[in-house]
Amino acid sequence: MRTLSGTTDLPVLLPRRMPSATEWGAADGARFFGSRTWLFLLLAMSALSVAAQASDAPARAGIVETVWKWMPLISSGFLFNLLVSAASMVLGTALGVLLGLGQISLHPSVRKASWTLTQFFRNAPWLVLLFFAMFLLPFELRIGGLVIPLPAWLKAIIGLSLPVMGNVAEIVRGGIRSIPTGQWESAESLAFSRMQILWQIIIPQAVKRMIPPWMNLYAILTMATTLISVVGIQDAMTLTRGALVAEARTDLYLPLYFMLLLMFFAYCYPIARLTLMLERRFAVNA
Amino acid sequence: MKSILTGIMAALGLFAGVATTIAQTPDTIAQIKQRGTIVVGVKNDYKPWGFLDPSGKIVGMEIDLVDEIAKKLGVKVELIPVTAANRMEFLNQGRTDLVIATMGDTEARRKVVGMIEPNYYAGATNVLAPKSANLKKWEDLKDRKVCAVQGAYYNRRVTQLYQPELIVFPAVPDALNALIGGNCIAFLFDDTLIVSTLAGGDQKWAGYEMPLTSEDPQLWAIGVRLTDLDAPFGKLIKEMSVDWHKSGKLLELEKKWGIKSSPYLVEQNKKLSGS
Amino acid sequence: MQPVAEFFRWLADAHGINLTIFYDSVDRSRFLTGLFTTIWLSIVCIFLSILIGLTGALIQGAHSPIPRAAVRSFVQFFRNTPPLVQLAFFYFAVSALLPMVTDRHGVKVPLIDNVGWAIISFSLFAGAFNVEIFRSGIEAVPKSTIEAAEALGYTRVKAYLYIIMPLAFRVCLPALGNNLVNLVKTTTLAYAIGVPELLYAAAQIWSEVLNVREMMWVLLFTYIIIVAVLVFVMHRWERALRIPGYSA
Repeated sequence: MRTLSGTTDLPVLLPRRMPSATEWGAADGARFFGSRTWLFLLLAMSALSVAAQASDAPARAGIVETVWKWMPLISSGFLFNLLVSAASMVLGTALGVLLGLGQISLHPSVRKASWTLTQFFRNAPWLVLLFFAMFLLPFELRIGGLVIPLPAWLKAIIGLSLPVMGNVAEIVRGGIRSIPTGQWESAESLAFSRMQILWQIIIPQAVKRMIPPWMNLYAILTMATTLISVVGIQDAMTLTRGALVAEARTDLYLPLYFMLLLMFFAYCYPIARLTLMLERRFAVNA
Repeated sequence: MKSILTGIMAALGLFAGVATTIAQTPDTIAQIKQRGTIVVGVKNDYKPWGFLDPSGKIVGMEIDLVDEIAKKLGVKVELIPVTAANRMEFLNQGRTDLVIATMGDTEARRKVVGMIEPNYYAGATNVLAPKSANLKKWEDLKDRKVCAVQGAYYNRRVTQLYQPELIVFPAVPDALNALIGGNCIAFLFDDTLIVSTLAGGDQKWAGYEMPLTSEDPQLWAIGVRLTDLDAPFGKLIKEMSVDWHKSGKLLELEKKWGIKSSPYLVEQNKKLSGS
Repeated sequence: MQPVAEFFRWLADAHGINLTIFYDSVDRSRFLTGLFTTIWLSIVCIFLSILIGLTGALIQGAHSPIPRAAVRSFVQFFRNTPPLVQLAFFYFAVSALLPMVTDRHGVKVPLIDNVGWAIISFSLFAGAFNVEIFRSGIEAVPKSTIEAAEALGYTRVKAYLYIIMPLAFRVCLPALGNNLVNLVKTTTLAYAIGVPELLYAAAQIWSEVLNVREMMWVLLFTYIIIVAVLVFVMHRWERALRIPGYSA
């Protein structure tokens, strides 16, 4: 290929900071977000409820009262979703950290096995992994003489923690890899052991970079907790569905499902904003 | 490549190993007595066989049968709500000792769980449809959208015979919501449940009917693990089942829960009390 | 095919590993239909979500604040609510608002069926992420390039189509690939509204044949293979479009 003569200081493309390497990327768009979004959502909702009213003109009891009546029950279900999300996150993070560290192990077999497990659990659909845990885990575990019962809700927590594990492992590996190798080398020359380098030098720096994608993952997990309704565990989604069957009114479908969407939005959106804030604070100028 | 494969196999083997612990059950009666409770898988969304009363307790005809068994053994009862998709898994995993959950007695299922004879009830297949759908015969379902529930034994048979476009949902409420929302013209289900839904006199079902002739009568059976079927536990349940037919207990319960009298129970009562 | 079927029949009888999809014609056709539906659904949604992403990113560059705010609201709302609830919202709630059409039996049926809503719902969900991905790609295009296009008389849309996007798209590809993999995984949710995709087919089979364990492994491996193929294709595409000397 012939190179063009002459030079220019104009770049073809600017270096781009990729959104964090987790699923769905980081919520980097949130910085453009103003109070206008809320206004739009409210407008959209009122327009939709008017449409719902109009579609079923001889409305019986007022829609607002009926929604209000079911609100406490559905909120209690939502609280259960949040509990499940917290438990799965704790379990998934603990396992994921192990798996992530396994990927930088010096033993090739440990490294390969960890890598395979990470890829497997990262790339399998969440719902399939949930089914997998619900059906294939035994109802109780016998370890020696100890019997640990595994009720359905616990299996669901385990099922949701599997993809969390895979993603956390990837975050940990990426975080550790993002620290320049020069740090390893200079620490080695100062006679630090591998464990000391990892825990005293590398991880304290890497953790800062892991926190934003980890929080992003938590928001994704919270939204994924609705999947447990598909495998028969009572959550906010199940209760909304039950309320709709009990009322059997098509004009309620829209307001009730929209309320459920708003509950999740009110919880996950602030997390997305916080993630972005932290991401900018921890950002290292290259 | 080979070492990657070995890695995969090792990693998955580890996981599968955890996942395949199956409990052994030597003597179920002794186990139940030692525990002091009998654990039974029942329905909680199937009025009037097993459903939630307003206080949140599971009641119904099948729960009365569970109570009879517990009284005989002198133990307390623990009820575990199950679905068509998980009841046999729960039983075989040992999570429940027994399953009484409107379970149809089919050849395929007999390979997996022990079915207690004589059967305690017989249901059949029908559809719940809005009157405006104007269904007259099963053939009318061809190429129309019909809602159904995952795990029901008749889904396959009806699909093969009448070729409806079946939309199968994970749970009953989803299918009902889809029916109410007009997403399908009928809901394929057990006739017994449809009858009791319509007979409830609820205003919201006023525009609905059960338009077809019930088909494919199916006996319902109490399920035990295959290892228990010919063991003392299975024999005990069988004896009790015979007794329920003979004494008219089942007919009495049927009346108590407002179920339309089933010809099967009357016939069995005659046959067994006559001999 | 015959010896294969025989082998799996023997496997089921002798070892209890019951893979009916290899010897029972009904189950095999169900499984293949499910596989086909998943692939077809994924391809349609990938295409539509990229279209939504491109359109959204174009509108986000508009001068007027109102369309910009509308796109931002759309993006934030779809990113921060559960896709399963979105799907139910469309299928049960929005569907009831649309006019009904009369089918050939004279019965009123909804305008859009469950497959249609699954496509709309997943495309919007993944599209919301694509808007953000493309926007961050556009930011990598130097201002001077855009000014040069303007100076040459390009309109905003033309500059977007012929100058900005061809450059930005290359930068976006890795993030886009990630998002599309997630889109494929999200198609499993269609199970909840009875779309006969892969999970639905597998669930049908295991609830009749009672071979949950075997089908679960088949399901997991099939999805892993589908994802692997997609990742491979995206990598090839990335390599083909790479700008020499540029690394993000």
